[in-house]
Amino acid sequence: MKPPPFDYARPESLEEALDLLARHGDEAKLLAGGQSLMAMLNFRLLAPAILVDINRLDRLAGIEEGDGRLSIGALTRHHALETSDLVAERLPVLHAAMGHVAHLAIRNRGTVGGSLAHADPAAELPAMMCLLDATLRVAGPAGTREISVHDFFTGALETALGDDEILLGIDLPSLPPGTAWGFEEFSRRAGDFALAGVAVLVEPTGAVRLALLGVDETPVRARAAEAELARGALSDAAVGQAVEALRAEISPLDDLHAGADYRRHLAGVLTTRALAAARARLA
Amino acid sequence: MSGRHTITVTVNGRAYTREVAPRLLLADFLREELGLTGTHVGCEHGICGACTVLIDGDSARSCLTLAVQCDGAEVGTIEGLGRVADLGRLQQAFREHHALQCGFCTAGMLITVTDLLAKYPLASEADIREGLSGNLCRCTGYENIVRAVQDLVAAREADPA
Amino acid sequence: MSETQRPKSVGARVQRLEDPRLLAGRGRFTDDHRAPDTLHLAFRRSEEAHARILAIDTATAAAMPGVVAVFTAADLAGEIRPVRAESRMRDYYATEFVALATNKVRYVGEAIAVVAAESRYLAEDAAAEIEVDFESLPPLGDTDAALAEGAALLHEEAASNVIARREFARGEVEEAFFAAPHRVGGRFRMHRKTPAAIENRAYRAEFDPGRGHLTVHSATQVPGLIRDALAEILDLPGSRLRVVAGDVGGGFGGKASLYPEEVVVAALARRLEATVKWTGDRLEDLTTTSQAFDEVVEAELAFDGAGRLLGLTAEVVGDVGAYSIYPWTASLEPVQVISFLPGPYRLPAYRGAVRAVATNKPPMGPYRGVGRPVSVFVMERLIDMAASKLGLDPVEMRRRNLVAADEFPYRAGSGLMWDRSGFHECLEAAVAEIDYAGRRAAQSAGPGADGRLIGIGVASYAELTGIGSRISAAPGMPINTGTETATIQLDSTGAVRAAFGIASHGQGLETTLAQVIADELGVAPDAVEIVQGDSAAVPHGTGTYASRSTVLAGGAAILSARGLRERIVQVAALLFEAAADDVEITDGIVAVAGTDRRMSFRELAKAFYSEMGRLPREVRDELALEVTRVYDPFFGTTTSATHIAVVAVDPETCEVEVLDYAVAEDCGRVINPAIVDGQVHGGVAQGIGAALFEEVRHDADGQCLTGSFVDYVVPSAAEIPAISVTHVESVLPATEGGFRGMGEGGTIGATGAIANAVTDALRPLDIDIMELPVTPERLFRLIQNAKINAKTKERDET
Repeated sequence: MKPPPFDYARPESLEEALDLLARHGDEAKLLAGGQSLMAMLNFRLLAPAILVDINRLDRLAGIEEGDGRLSIGALTRHHALETSDLVAERLPVLHAAMGHVAHLAIRNRGTVGGSLAHADPAAELPAMMCLLDATLRVAGPAGTREISVHDFFTGALETALGDDEILLGIDLPSLPPGTAWGFEEFSRRAGDFALAGVAVLVEPTGAVRLALLGVDETPVRARAAEAELARGALSDAAVGQAVEALRAEISPLDDLHAGADYRRHLAGVLTTRALAAARARLA
Repeated sequence: MSGRHTITVTVNGRAYTREVAPRLLLADFLREELGLTGTHVGCEHGICGACTVLIDGDSARSCLTLAVQCDGAEVGTIEGLGRVADLGRLQQAFREHHALQCGFCTAGMLITVTDLLAKYPLASEADIREGLSGNLCRCTGYENIVRAVQDLVAAREADPA
Repeated sequence: MSETQRPKSVGARVQRLEDPRLLAGRGRFTDDHRAPDTLHLAFRRSEEAHARILAIDTATAAAMPGVVAVFTAADLAGEIRPVRAESRMRDYYATEFVALATNKVRYVGEAIAVVAAESRYLAEDAAAEIEVDFESLPPLGDTDAALAEGAALLHEEAASNVIARREFARGEVEEAFFAAPHRVGGRFRMHRKTPAAIENRAYRAEFDPGRGHLTVHSATQVPGLIRDALAEILDLPGSRLRVVAGDVGGGFGGKASLYPEEVVVAALARRLEATVKWTGDRLEDLTTTSQAFDEVVEAELAFDGAGRLLGLTAEVVGDVGAYSIYPWTASLEPVQVISFLPGPYRLPAYRGAVRAVATNKPPMGPYRGVGRPVSVFVMERLIDMAASKLGLDPVEMRRRNLVAADEFPYRAGSGLMWDRSGFHECLEAAVAEIDYAGRRAAQSAGPGADGRLIGIGVASYAELTGIGSRISAAPGMPINTGTETATIQLDSTGAVRAAFGIASHGQGLETTLAQVIADELGVAPDAVEIVQGDSAAVPHGTGTYASRSTVLAGGAAILSARGLRERIVQVAALLFEAAADDVEITDGIVAVAGTDRRMSFRELAKAFYSEMGRLPREVRDELALEVTRVYDPFFGTTTSATHIAVVAVDPETCEVEVLDYAVAEDCGRVINPAIVDGQVHGGVAQGIGAALFEEVRHDADGQCLTGSFVDYVVPSAAEIPAISVTHVESVLPATEGGFRGMGEGGTIGATGAIANAVTDALRPLDIDIMELPVTPERLFRLIQNAKINAKTKERDET
């Protein structure tokens, strides 16, 4: 299990990195934290001609607050996100989710941008971005553009990111004060990808956001369930309706660890629990 | 850009300059090029944790890192934690608690524990077990590793230095 | 000097002598050795489960950068002589050992060709370019497919896919069942598992063309067996063939067999006159290391109204994979399932029958517990099902049936003989340790605030360890696993060196054997150098497996150390001109009691070997300071234990958490409690893995679906509970030293304890666990079905 041969470049600037991508097209692979990419290379599931290592683009790392939003650089390591006071204070639901991401050695290296670009539907960060209505900032040969997270994930391990584009970072709009949250996931082994996971936000207005992981080809915002919950003001009956609605709006896959019906069932159980946690925080 | 790259990596305080192929994994660089065979390879896909080393002070999988990425970095391995005749504090704790059997996962465990002790309170046994969960051991059932870490946490509280 | 005055090492928590090197990263595992010009191997493996090989094209691969040579079976035809896992067992077909596939491949991952190159990277590049032209044959994805009418034959010359059969019977089974007022039974299924040692298999061979010497460094548990096998396969005398297992990173049975890669490495070192190395990767480990526990057991238990067992029947089908593994045979595990099924219970009538069925999966081989984790799962579930039927507490059910102290020696239904062991004592000790009554009281208060259901599971078992020459470790196998040789010497520097045929791979045998010898000889443990894992150490050795090493090597250590001590005493008596009875040895100092006459081992050795004239010349021969003794316990001895697990089951998420775990075991005299505890902890963790997490899966076409540690789920520290271990010494067995083996027991007991605990938790839902591992997915289906059944029942009743 050794990686196939490839060339390697380590650009010192974003321009240089974009230039390399422009030149090599889909023969190039961006190397950020490498925690998924390197494993796939070791299994020889990929054979890129060149790896473009962006780890020296230090300006892509960091967490900043301003303009009613939190901006997180694509090269921010999971561990930095996990331990950020700013995140813990402003987005406690994200802080809670980070505690479920893999293991310290992986979190030390893995990056926010890498996780989003890899787009594993069972990973925490893609679902959290859907929950938090993130905007992704992307640089390409024609300059920068913004992509709503709701347009970003196009399939399992597929995104709207072009071969010649680099994810710069994400912007997360601030949550209204008093927003309550809940996060629940179930994995067979600590740190593994979850069989299913749910994150919820309940705003003081009664608006509810509900995002799920591991239950479809992409992370899911369960809009129908959200509507049920908002309409029913989080009553037990509304939670029941919401669970029914979300079980209908997800299409889980069968895999080795869980069948589709079990995943659908789990999504409902975890949603009920996450909502209960959020309700407890509202009180 | 293509072909081999000359890199300088400081391992356990000593600088090594070598020419490497881009695809050479850090684990193989340490073992094959530098002869530092204390770092072990168990799965080469980042799950078992046996190959964990410190890169610029942070624990990382040396099977998921290219040697060429470590140009200019400081790498720490088990050989840097103490010598046979003069074991370090973590190594002593593992010995006292019989926290190893075959010793193959031990290097990764010790490096992980080094980083966990630096970064987390590890206030409960559950926290310790969670912290160790990225390192698989097939021999010990983890029991004595957990006990050794509990001892190290207590020692850290008593002597934060 | 009396026994009690001598400082005792046996029984003490001596820190391990092997630890400093392992902790400092200075161990020497097989892959750790660096030699210039080493050739690295990579294999072209089959992607087909069952196919005929029509053609192999190696031309592209051979021309690739860094490639030195490429070989197929045809290229090595003259170098590798055929061997088979022979057995005198009737109804057994010994398949041929295949190093590289010739006409046919029989499982995905089977080696077809091999590349020798300057690095593993280059070898892998080239192996991927070897073209194989296959003609697909119908895959036998499981035993049902292999047993089906008109199924394709895996080994045509065997004329059947059933390659071994056996039956044990004792007592009047039909009558017992006919007369029995109660029966329980069902179809039990345990799924395939793999040892998954963290160190993958690795082999390195060096050839000295000048002397014709071949040295094979192997990550093996059985260097002696491998030496003997390679001598036959390569047609070399043992004097020119040495197999060395240095530090080995866990084995658990997966490194106890002869492997194709091992033979190819050895053959190519000789052929290429070079150092040749293969270090397996995890994908290769998960697809080619021997696997185990793949059985279906149809069993029924008959008992009376007082809970007394009357009879037991079992039909076992074992999926043994593609080949009969060398040297253990394909019958090893399935036969153990029926041998040990009656357990530690008084059982007047038993019939167990087994069929070993070949399929297109990797070969089944020994794995920690060998069959017994399956038998304990089945028997302990049956005992609980019987208790439940009678409304008896599971502990009480066991009290009524465990063989009692005055009934030993007891012949079990399969013919096994149990010597006195603490069956009842272990049960009671475990019950006390876990506060069984308190747990039951808490459980009866109902589920906790989190809605989780609590379950308590008990499993008692007995196993035969330290098996001597009377019984073969595998049925009818023409290999002697029942003796162990120890050679101990005091050399001319006064150093003590003891050599064995065993091969420690994590058990700490360098420490425990040193402790045993230290006490016999009167030295400190760290003054004893233990040589093991080297076929050149003793004339005959096999290795470490089957919970044998402490009993057999420990016994041989005692005998040889005693012999050496006697000679040292006699030499000292001559040197001191004193009576031998007055000579004592303490901490490496030889002295005449009550006098100031004393000398160190170093001084004594110098006088003996180097200072001519100090001793009569014939003494150097008569009292030669090297003693070899062979120990054979002839039968073996019974190790027993009771495990109690406490679990919490979340009926909504279907998660099972093991909250607490207690083991009480009788392994006779404990040499080093820390090491014994550690063996139990590790065994239990693997048993919990077998019960809840670990499963090798293949699809119907024989493709492995669990080729990574993402999909083959080895439990981490977060899934394993704190484990308490209580040592019970009932009566010491008749083995030399009073030791019993205990390396496998943790795994053997855990399957039954966990299965019973989960069943106990799910009692409100009326679910019996009949299939392991009970993964969340399986639990989900069981709970869904239970709900449907409950609804149907409700509807029918209204």
